[in-house]
Amino acid sequence: MTVITHVQRKSRLAEMVDRPGGVSVGVALAQAKANLDGLKDQALAIISENIGALLAHPTPDIPEALRLDSAYAASSQVIDAASPFALDDLCTAAKGLCDLLDAAPRQGGFDWRIATVHAQAMKLLLSLTPDAPGTAEARIAIMANLSEVLKRKLPTAPQSPV
Amino acid sequence: MVVDDSPFSLTLTTGALAGFGIRPTFTVGRGAEARRILQEKPVDLLLVDTDMPDIDGFELVRWLRRSGPNPNAFTPVIMTASHIRRGRVTEARDCGANFVVTKPFSAAMLLERILWVARDSRPFLEVGDYLGPDRRFRHDDYDGEERRADMIRKKTMEFA
Repeated sequence: MTVITHVQRKSRLAEMVDRPGGVSVGVALAQAKANLDGLKDQALAIISENIGALLAHPTPDIPEALRLDSAYAASSQVIDAASPFALDDLCTAAKGLCDLLDAAPRQGGFDWRIATVHAQAMKLLLSLTPDAPGTAEARIAIMANLSEVLKRKLPTAPQSPV
Repeated sequence: MVVDDSPFSLTLTTGALAGFGIRPTFTVGRGAEARRILQEKPVDLLLVDTDMPDIDGFELVRWLRRSGPNPNAFTPVIMTASHIRRGRVTEARDCGANFVVTKPFSAAMLLERILWVARDSRPFLEVGDYLGPDRRFRHDDYDGEERRADMIRKKTMEFA
């Protein structure tokens, strides 16, 4: 097979990074954190809204493929909104649900109770107070149960670490 | 340039970038609009979401890499994904992005990836349908002073 090699010139991004001045990594990260912290409430509202959509009763006669796509979109949006705020368990739960919905047959037959279980688990994870006694154990138990569901329903899928 | 169909994700990414002192010139919600701008204006870094309704991230990057003599054809690209469908993993590998980052990722990781792609000096290869950075990485140890931030951090953590 023919291979054509294009030697890269130094990118403008590299030139900008190498230019003297700017801010230190520590300052950059502190500023980014401050900016993101200001968006946390909005992120939590979006997460709750999407968990609500996953728990809501479906519109009657909605085609299975459309229902799968809507649930996949809601679960993806949970990951998007939770991503910068170290809500890793929530992201793992939402990723597991995305894996399951992605593997579901488009013509029907998906056990929707699994989606409900995941959504309820996400709701619970979101409501747990970080430093309250028993929270860590509860998180571990929830994540272990979800991991078990994923293993049973999707034995060949690469599992997200719990 | 930041391309994401989710307005909130766009806000999150631009918020983190603003903290780094990077002000995106273009924040775009549609792949088609991004393509139009990429044909006309110089772009230093492209941060693009994989899953978008019209032209998705994979298609946009594949088009970009083959858009020569457009100077943006070699622009560093970081793709962000909340989840990659199983059937699209190959596309993620083959689209020609410098880096695909799956969420969750922190602001620190985003900064690390930006610095990484800035220093990415891999040649671009055109092999069959693929056009993008050489996907082969050396796995043997580098014989010299370690200057990669992530490797230094990893080693420091190992000793801590």
